[in-house]
Amino acid sequence: MLDRSVAPPLLPIEHISFVAPQITILNNGVKLFWRNGLQNETSKIELHFAAGSATNDPLTASLCAGLLINGSEKRTAKQIQKALDAVGAYYDVSLSQESSVVTLYALKDQLIKAYKVFHESIFTAVFPLKEVQELVHSRRQKYTVQEQKVGFLAQRQFQRSLMAGSSYAKLIELSDFDRADRSQIQAFHAEHYLKGLKKVYLVGDLTTLDLNGFEVLLNAYGSEIAERAPFSWQPEQGATHIEQEGALQSALRIGRPLFNKTHPDFCAFSVLNTILGDYFGSRLMSNIREDKGYTYGIGSHVVENTKFGYFVIGTEVGVSTREATFQEIQHEFERLKTELVLAEELELVKSYLMGQLLKSADGPYAMLDLFANVETMGLDLSYYDHYISQIKAVDAQKLQELAKRYLNWEEMLIISAG
Amino acid sequence: MIAFERFTLANGLRVLFHKEPATPMAVVNVLYDVGARDENPEQTGFAHLFEHLMFGGSKHIPDFDAPLQAAGGQSNAFTSNDITNYYDVLPAQNLDTALWLESDRMLSLAFTPKSLEVQRQVVIEEFKQRYLNQPYGDAWLQLRPLVYQKHPYRWATIGKNIKHIQDATMDDVRAFFQKHYHPGNAILCIVGNFELQTIKEKVAHYFGTIPSQTKSPRQLPIEPPQQKFRIKTIQRKVPAGSFYYAFKMGKRISDSYYLADLLSDHIGNEKTGILYTELQRKKRLVSEITAYITGSIDEGLFVITGKLNPKSTFEELEAAIWPVLAQIKDKKMSKSALQQLILKLRTAKAFQDQGLLNRAMNLSFFELLDSAELLNTESARYEQISTTQLQQYAQVLLDKNRCSLLQIQPK
Repeated sequence: MLDRSVAPPLLPIEHISFVAPQITILNNGVKLFWRNGLQNETSKIELHFAAGSATNDPLTASLCAGLLINGSEKRTAKQIQKALDAVGAYYDVSLSQESSVVTLYALKDQLIKAYKVFHESIFTAVFPLKEVQELVHSRRQKYTVQEQKVGFLAQRQFQRSLMAGSSYAKLIELSDFDRADRSQIQAFHAEHYLKGLKKVYLVGDLTTLDLNGFEVLLNAYGSEIAERAPFSWQPEQGATHIEQEGALQSALRIGRPLFNKTHPDFCAFSVLNTILGDYFGSRLMSNIREDKGYTYGIGSHVVENTKFGYFVIGTEVGVSTREATFQEIQHEFERLKTELVLAEELELVKSYLMGQLLKSADGPYAMLDLFANVETMGLDLSYYDHYISQIKAVDAQKLQELAKRYLNWEEMLIISAG
Repeated sequence: MIAFERFTLANGLRVLFHKEPATPMAVVNVLYDVGARDENPEQTGFAHLFEHLMFGGSKHIPDFDAPLQAAGGQSNAFTSNDITNYYDVLPAQNLDTALWLESDRMLSLAFTPKSLEVQRQVVIEEFKQRYLNQPYGDAWLQLRPLVYQKHPYRWATIGKNIKHIQDATMDDVRAFFQKHYHPGNAILCIVGNFELQTIKEKVAHYFGTIPSQTKSPRQLPIEPPQQKFRIKTIQRKVPAGSFYYAFKMGKRISDSYYLADLLSDHIGNEKTGILYTELQRKKRLVSEITAYITGSIDEGLFVITGKLNPKSTFEELEAAIWPVLAQIKDKKMSKSALQQLILKLRTAKAFQDQGLLNRAMNLSFFELLDSAELLNTESARYEQISTTQLQQYAQVLLDKNRCSLLQIQPK
């Protein structure tokens, strides 16, 4: 007979296999990473360019990314779209502060055909004036919509203050749209795309013939990525409130500079961060959502860039519970600093992190993303074995020590909007 | 091709199993045949509030999430106007944990006043965050009652207004559970590297003893056919005017769903679709425009939406959009354009089908709709469509008398 009050026994994760992609170094020095063995029809190619928005002119970077596939020497924007439609392909361009990532998705027997169109579009992009004007216009309008969102206001102020003194603090302002300039976009394209291919990820059960085809086309790009000036910043601390009349909720961003996974404390801090705010059962969720009902959601994260990292808590709460939320977050910091995490909670979080890692390694697409996370930082897959052993080894004393070092309210940057 | 097995327990629980040998994970998906359309018009937002309560502990298990997290897993859920869907993703060796948790909350919830109190607050914050404190956030709260006058699609899943959530009592909540949460009203789908026999044994072990209950028949008010164009204009603090042209389309299961789906892709595409080329590019009336379908189980909506350029007016758009829609009705799409649309759908489906969770959710949804086989046979339904059928359907669909227009004007 089933006794429902007794939980089924749990079995630990014994092993996670981390599968590396095949690596080809192209004539231009760019690395091509390829995963096959999918046993389905899907495929994608992903190009990473040194064309991120952390520059002195983030609007130009953003417009260049937005216009990359909008008119070339041979085709208009509409003709490009039609040519991609003809082979059933999709694409997206995603811009982060450090890179511009252009991804093309198609069935595997169509990918090379789609890529030929794609390549011509990116490589010989002409940025037609009409397309430039249309995009500037629509981006300006989208910006005015965004400006009404408390989350957007808080996030921007947070970024500006935390990354002060670095190019990462430079954000698009409304007035920038008046200065948008086609010749600057063209110059940015020549410098950051034509000469800025950083790496390429390829997924799919493709033929050797197709692979050779990709290599030939990819060789056209230069990879003369200028070494960025050494990273330096003067992060700010303390509280700033942005008032927005009539807002029903306030968006909060609370954080501090931290590190990325190249730092010795990273793995242990991941455990601490998860306990605090990075899963559904976290202390912030349990307290501020599940006990007090102040918010629909609250979370803490470690955000990584190649040269630095930071810690941030984000939430949107009812305006009247804003101060109470600050108090509760401080209370959770104090608990982590003064009380040892109990074994049951620590074990739960360790198992949870292992389960999530297993999931992140499941399937060629996920596995390649996991690989990219370490490759970007100059590490290799052995990092994950290190991560697993560090997670297993971390104890309550270590977590308390990290909380005392990194979770001090008076060292936080505290932004609220609304 | 997604192969699956199907069996039904004596208490009425329908079970689907799809074996995937390549994964170390397992997915457990539980779909309940209850959505916002099943709510009392005076107590809207209940199906969704209830979804929140399902994580507040069940009869024998005080906390839903902790055991699942300790097993290395994760869980979430969503509520739509049609269904409530719960899912767990966890390492395959701990499948039992998910089955234990899901079966206990199907058996009975804990129903603590504290859980109701807190989740009521959480849902109110969700209401603010997603619908009230966002530019254009309440568009669908306004559009639904304009389009649907009788059918319960006239309210959104979050509810008609916050008051219904504020007024919910323990008795209401208990009654909702009794009526909708039982084996005969659920579909369980398991995906992972298991043997069918093992799945049968485990499912029987955990779910077999849950008492059966008769499924109450669904008798929803029927939406009378729309006879006249409806228009509603509201003023909000937004930077640009925004418009929603909503046309009534068929049920999810009807042939017309597939026609509407292709048609929305065809006319709504950026750069190549006629809405973009005529209204954005040529006439410069809008700064963005697209078309999509809601795909709801009962009579759904085909929506054309976008934002006005600052210099243009709603009147100018009104005058320009109908001749464009007339062109769609008058001119047959080329065969090659249709083939391209179908190839794009094939690509999108191949990508969707490779996600384990997607497979589990889709198998469950199609089983509810008609049969899980639809997951494998739907592509053929698209491929049978002709350009003549599409044109004929456009003539029926894009009828101004069956259209409702919501305009949001900057204050």
